[in-house]
Formats: sequence, C-alpha cells, structure tokens
Amino acid sequence: MTDKKPKENEIKEDYKSFAAKRSYAIMFLPLITFIVLCGFLLKGLFSDPTERESALINKPVPSFSLPDLNDASIIHTEKTLIGEAVIINVWGTWCVTCKYELPYLTKLREEYGVKIVGVYYDQNHAPAFGEIADVIEIRQDVKEMLAQLGNPYQYNILDLDRTLSLNLGISGAPESFLIDKNGTIIMHHMGDINERVWRTKLAPVWNEIAL
Amino acid sequence: MKLISLVIAKASATLAVAVFTLSFLLVSPTSFAEDAENAIEFKDDVQKSTYNELVNELRCPKCQNQNIADSNAVIARDMRVKTKSLLDEGYKKQEVIDYMVDRYGQFAHYQPPMTIATSLLWFVPIAFVLFAVILLIRRSQNGNIQHGEGISRTENIDEAYKESESSIDAELEQLLDTADSNKKDSEV
Repeated sequence: MTDKKPKENEIKEDYKSFAAKRSYAIMFLPLITFIVLCGFLLKGLFSDPTERESALINKPVPSFSLPDLNDASIIHTEKTLIGEAVIINVWGTWCVTCKYELPYLTKLREEYGVKIVGVYYDQNHAPAFGEIADVIEIRQDVKEMLAQLGNPYQYNILDLDRTLSLNLGISGAPESFLIDKNGTIIMHHMGDINERVWRTKLAPVWNEIAL
Repeated sequence: MKLISLVIAKASATLAVAVFTLSFLLVSPTSFAEDAENAIEFKDDVQKSTYNELVNELRCPKCQNQNIADSNAVIARDMRVKTKSLLDEGYKKQEVIDYMVDRYGQFAHYQPPMTIATSLLWFVPIAFVLFAVILLIRRSQNGNIQHGEGISRTENIDEAYKESESSIDAELEQLLDTADSNKKDSEV
C-alpha cells in the first residue's frame, strides 16, 4: 500500500498539469479569435470598397477609332498611342473630382513632361433612350474649363457613346491608365490624381515606363 | 339623421382606404431597368429571358452591391445596352458574361468561379462544422477530461474522502479482528 500511493499521485499530478495546459489553451482561444477578427475588421475599415483591380493590366489598349474632341476629321486609334509612354485620363466637365485634378495634371505636364491623353466621357449621350449630346456645347464647356483650370492634355478623344470607356472597364470619372510605349496598360487608377497618389503610386511606375 | 351620418362616415372611410391604396400604386417602385425593358424589343422570349438573367447576374461596377438591372448609373445603363446588342449579335449567355468579365474583372459577375481564393468560402464553413463535430465527439468520449479545475478539485476531495473512509474501515476491521482474537484468547 505504501509503495503504490506515490505512483498514483504522480499520475494524478501529470494529468493535472496536462489538464491545466489544455484548459489554458481553451481559455485563450476566444481571445485569439477575437484578436484575429479585430485585425480582419480593422483592415476592412481602411480598405476602399470602390477599389477594383482592372482586368486589363498587362494587356494592350483595346482597339478604337474615335474622333478628336475639337476636330471630328481627326481620327485617333490605339496605334496613335504607341511610341511613347502616356497616361490616358478619362474625364468630363460634368465630373466634380476631375476639376480638382486638372491643375495637378497640368503641373505634371508642364514640370515633369508627362504626356496625358484625355478620353472625354459624356454622361448624357444615349441614343437608345433618345438622348443626344450636343458636341458643340461640350467643346465650349471643355474650352472654358481648360482655360480656367489648366490644360494637361496632348489631345482629347471624344468617346461619345462610351465604347472605349466600356472596353477599358471604366465605371465613372476620373480614371487613369498608365500606358507604356508599346501600348500596353501597366497601371490603372480610379479617382483623382493628386500629389500623394502621384508620389506613392503612379510616379514609381511612370518613371520606369517613361525611360 | 343618425343613419345619414353613419353612411357618410362609412363612405369617407372607404374613400380613405382607396386613396391610401392608390397612393401606393402610384409610387410603386418601377425600376429604371423595367422602364428600359419596356422600350427594348426582343427577338423572342428566349432572348428576353436570357437578357433578364444577365442583367440580374451582372454586377454594376460603379455601385456597391447592385446588379445592372437595379442600378440607373450611366455605366449600368451602358452595360444593359451592350448586353442587348451582344445578344443581338448572337452571343451566348456565357459569352456575354465573359465579355464583361474581360473588361471589369470577376467583380462584374455575381457568381464567382471556384478559384483558390474563393474556394475558402466553400471550405471554411465545412471545416468549421467538421471541427465542431469532432470536438463534440471527443468531449463526450473522455467526458471528465474537459472539466475545469474546480470540478476536479471536488473530485479529489471525494476521492480523498473515499480513501480515508476505506482506510478507516480497514483499521476498524483490524481492530475488531484483534479484539475478536483477544476475546477468543481470553476465552481460551
């Protein structure tokens, strides 16, 4: 009886410590789950739900044949873009955010020699619904706005029925694409281009493709 | 006199109900897509049903959580027009979806395909249920193991009590035995 007892106690102690370890693990499980969940939700708090990855990255600019905004006899195609790196900027005078980026884009053109091509995105033109946009009026609006806020554009492509915009996966304005000299889409940006966006996101890529 | 006032009251109540119902009918939410749909001429019923399936399955890239049928954003309207013209060109349903996905990414389709990233959506809940079932089975198997400190302490007390009880019993028996033998001895 005397030499049997310690053995039993030993087993008991072992079992006790094992159970304690186990219960500690289980005790901390909710806390760990909570922390992981917090991290996940915190990430969601700072993510932009409107940010989508473009389906066109590393693909050539879709083919198009569209008139110049100011002169319908000039026809631009995707081949016009080949030769040097360029930023395609989809915009419209109706778009409030576009007004904010015009001065900064102009600065990019003047100070850094960034080539920017505008794609004029008109909201109202919808022949299927009997809505026809007045091109003369658009030209006048554009002229006035660019005179007032600066003109960053080499030229503007008039995408009246928004086919090029649809092919580019545009959902609104402003949206911009960085195109390399082979006419390949390298980067997509939704929203305005300002100093912060340019420095952190666009400039590093631009400096590479504009060499 | 009483009868007349009763009739008037009843008539006005009916009128109120009618106006109330009518007001609902007047502002009933006919979506933009429905208006457009009335204007669209379909080749046949098959095309119409394919179109309806597509506009409900394709997601508006501009708006959050709306399909292109529900949204009247410019882009949603353009996508509806494009859907119709692609169907007119003889595109199949899947080809129209592919056309939109090529331009707007998987975002534009409400039924994402099974990829490594999306497979988590299917497998994680299943894994959770399996985990829970395994946990339950194990718990029921080794019952007491999962109990906390407090209970095991009381168990120890119980055991200790039982042990001490049995040792007392043994001692008592021994005493009785010796007493018995003593008695026998003395008798002898």
